[in-house]
Amino acid sequence: MSEDIGKRRFREIVLPHLDDGWRLARWLVGPEDAEDVVQDAAIRALATLAGAAPVKPRAWWLAVVRNTALTHARKRRGQIWNRADEEEAGDAADPSPDAEAALIAQGEGARVRDALARLPPLLREALMLREVEEMNYREIAAVTSSPIGTVMSRLARARAALTRLLKIEHAG
Amino acid sequence: MPDEADILRAQLALDGELDAEAHRAFERALAERPELAAAYGQFSRLSGALREHAPQEAAPERLRARLEELAAPSRQPRPWHGAALAAGMAGLAAFAGFEAGRIRRDDPTLAALLAGHERAVLSGQPFDVASSDRHTVKPWLAERTTLGAFVPDLGADGFVLVGGRLEILDSRPVPTVVYRRREHLISVVELPLSEADGGATAAQGYHVARWRDGERAYVAISDLDAGELATFAERFAKAAGNAKSTAP
Repeated sequence: MSEDIGKRRFREIVLPHLDDGWRLARWLVGPEDAEDVVQDAAIRALATLAGAAPVKPRAWWLAVVRNTALTHARKRRGQIWNRADEEEAGDAADPSPDAEAALIAQGEGARVRDALARLPPLLREALMLREVEEMNYREIAAVTSSPIGTVMSRLARARAALTRLLKIEHAG
Repeated sequence: MPDEADILRAQLALDGELDAEAHRAFERALAERPELAAAYGQFSRLSGALREHAPQEAAPERLRARLEELAAPSRQPRPWHGAALAAGMAGLAAFAGFEAGRIRRDDPTLAALLAGHERAVLSGQPFDVASSDRHTVKPWLAERTTLGAFVPDLGADGFVLVGGRLEILDSRPVPTVVYRRREHLISVVELPLSEADGGATAAQGYHVARWRDGERAYVAISDLDAGELATFAERFAKAAGNAKSTAP
């Protein structure tokens, strides 16, 4: 019985937001591992949903994906990233001359995706939740278990790094 | 160069995090301070580039298929906890078109509407347009659906109008009116007659009443008890009847 409730809630709560979860996992761990992460997250979600229904389904599901992605990244050798990584925005903002030349040679779409890939994961995550998922600060804070001030500073750093990487000029 | 405060303010404005008054002040400042306008312009160009070019593809089909399989309903028939419901049904007999029924697991329309109601309740946003004024709710729904919604005022009967929303059925929007009685929400969905099915049912702790008149079919879903939901259905149908007889 409770298993059925869990499955039904899963169909109603998780499946409609599957694409959002997939994208979040992609931004955090990359396309190769995203599928495993989402599947593990789904299994966790199913177990939780048998016992309780979240008040904010989408934010809850994204938080499950995120936690699964973090666990996954920590477990993987050579792919550990953590708060220290997040502080390395400076590296991303100052690409080597070679990298810079490579960026300029590409079309805009490729340049944007390439620049995004250079962002530290937590900065990329905050920016994508805002720009692509169109979440407000409060929602991003809920999904990432961070204070709103942290959300704001991650967004500001992500944007500063990207404007430099992409050489978006000051208009004034 | 814009200073740090400018950058923060431009970011808040771009992200829609300023309230109306702060936003007006920001727009005035934009006109007066070119360095603020520069920071804002830079952020909005970046935002445009991201929305256009950031990877945002859907989940792979095989992943979706696996998860759908994972959450597929099991095949055993669900035990019907209908004793309490059956008692409530006694009062329904007087109302033509009602009879106690077993929840039909193979009824996709009902399953979709139940899911819609539960999602609406769970999300804390049971309506897309919140208003206790039927003259607001009715045109909002009429603009967005092909069925004109019937939105009676049942306040005198203790059912307060709280808003309306759209349910999607077979990729088509159908009007849904939301009422409240005490802390219980009632969703009333209007359907074309062809999809009508009479009867009252219970599913997943919700009660469902279904009825029709000459033109439309209705499905009401609520966690109210069956008797009260039947009363609601009766009042709603009566109001519809009155509306028709006074229509030119």
